[in-house]
Amino acid sequence: MILETSALTYAYRSGKHLRFPDLKIDAGEKVLLIGPSGSGKSSLLNLIAGVLPLQTGSISLKKFQYNQLSPRSLDTIRADHIGVIFQSFNLIPYLSGFENARIGLQFSTQRRARVDRPREVIKRLATQLGLTTDLLDRKPTELSIGQQQRIAAIRALIGQPELVIADEPTSALDPEATTLFMNQLKDSINPQTQAVVVVSHNPSIIPLFDRVIRLDNPQ
Amino acid sequence: MIRIVAAAIRSRVVPTILVIIALTTSMALLLTVDRIQQATKKGFNQSLGGVDLVLGPRGSGIELVLYTVFHLGKPTNNITTETLKDIERNPFVEWAIPIALGDSHQGFRVISTIPEYFDRIRFDGDQSLSFSQGRAFQELNDVVIGSAVASELGYQLGSSIFVTHGSESLGRTHDDFAFQISGILNPTGTPTDRAVFVSLEGYELIHLGWKSGSKIVSLDRIDISQIPRERLYPATITAAYLGLTSKLNLFKASRFINEYPEEAVSAVIPGVALAELWSMVGSVDFVFRIFNWLIIGISLIGMVTMTLSSLDSRTRELTILRAVGATPLQLASMVLIETMLVSIISMAMAVGLVRLSTWVAADLLTQWAGVHIELTWISFDEFSVLIIIMLAGLVASLIPATLVYRRSLAQGFLH
Repeated sequence: MILETSALTYAYRSGKHLRFPDLKIDAGEKVLLIGPSGSGKSSLLNLIAGVLPLQTGSISLKKFQYNQLSPRSLDTIRADHIGVIFQSFNLIPYLSGFENARIGLQFSTQRRARVDRPREVIKRLATQLGLTTDLLDRKPTELSIGQQQRIAAIRALIGQPELVIADEPTSALDPEATTLFMNQLKDSINPQTQAVVVVSHNPSIIPLFDRVIRLDNPQ
Repeated sequence: MIRIVAAAIRSRVVPTILVIIALTTSMALLLTVDRIQQATKKGFNQSLGGVDLVLGPRGSGIELVLYTVFHLGKPTNNITTETLKDIERNPFVEWAIPIALGDSHQGFRVISTIPEYFDRIRFDGDQSLSFSQGRAFQELNDVVIGSAVASELGYQLGSSIFVTHGSESLGRTHDDFAFQISGILNPTGTPTDRAVFVSLEGYELIHLGWKSGSKIVSLDRIDISQIPRERLYPATITAAYLGLTSKLNLFKASRFINEYPEEAVSAVIPGVALAELWSMVGSVDFVFRIFNWLIIGISLIGMVTMTLSSLDSRTRELTILRAVGATPLQLASMVLIETMLVSIISMAMAVGLVRLSTWVAADLLTQWAGVHIELTWISFDEFSVLIIIMLAGLVASLIPATLVYRRSLAQGFLH
């Protein structure tokens, strides 16, 4: 088991109260969390990433129980075991594609230890994700949205973190590119050790996933 | 992490360069002014050693020291050699070196004096003047030149020179009497290096036949060999350096001279006159220094403002770093490192600029007053000032760093 959540809720200061379904995600699984805007998809990912503090319920990632960990330890857990892909503006504008991808190793000794030659690994992942390697030397402003998303995916995948979470990663892509990107992402993970959790409000991508979990918190 | 910070700085290259320029110039200005002031004081203070009192016409003590020792300004009045002889007879006075000023050679001041000058005058504490070549003047046409005069004009022993009447280079030349270089002094880093020394008698001789600044009779019409040397001893001189039998008599001798009834003369303690000068300059210097610190403060505020104003546009960048595991403390540290790098680069550039500006100022000061400034990279005191500025920068940078820390703690990264 890679990820397990139980009885999770989160209350914002505004009074909004979110309840989340229990999750159990194994290695090799590609899970889609789907729901309308305001249903708490991003909040759930923030909780899983250890950025929002746990209020009630429990989360365990591998052997780590979040409610027993300090914020500092949660940062380390995130660096070592979680790769994150955002909806857009995924890259640091002043770094090249290669440097952006390599940041995935910057704060994790474990992920660094798994990668002998970062440049080679980044090139291999780029090829798997359908990106020509010469694009890695370019700055984000010189890349298309799809190319930027692929570099963000390399950053999330490098060093083989156990859990890759993605927040609406294909919202800026057309349907054909969306299917291609999701398939490439799924093909790039190691089914023995890694799982993918994607958040989206787009029902058209449902067929691309092993499992779909609906969030139905009222707006 | 340093690599990311360096890239972040590069991405905001124009505002960063402007902040670096502001910090560099303000730091360099502070250090240069301080350094030149210290070096000028040191240079002036070490220029005249061994002299207990400067005797001259009654008037401003500072003015007397400036024109006799540093060749700045013009003497207004003379004193009689009769008075000097009388004062020399006073038991407090061990020796007296008369000097007469007024003429020049190619912009260098001519000092007429007696050969004892080279034995009595000291510089840089208690160092004696010494000759790199030749000897002190003996004959009427002998001339001794300072090291800078020799190097700048390319003179050698035996070279002939003419003296110009007055201190202006456009004045009339005493072209009827050539002096011959009998000695070249070793460098001292004092106005001595830029002086031309002739005997009192030789100086008097070239002014024979002159009246009210104009030549009436040429020396070519006079048989110089027929003039007894003692008759050429001048009746008036500009000033005299006095050495006392004991330093304890300094104030007694000074009072005796200042109350001298036969002629309006005064005695000035060189160190006291210079201290008065520094005290006059000091208040201006204090205001200048305050302004300098204000400029540095404003530059630091500029640096913090730049960092603060960039934070909003960097929210995404900080979020990405947070997503890959950067802790709030690491993000805050990055902001601190960024401002520290800007401060350190500014410091390094300021040191270079100080060196350059000191070099230029040293040259100007040597040309102007003959005072030599020692060129060094950075002193411990200057380094301390830079460290204080850097710490101030660090403290100021805590504002944006704290902001980043708090934001990172309070916000999730997925919205």
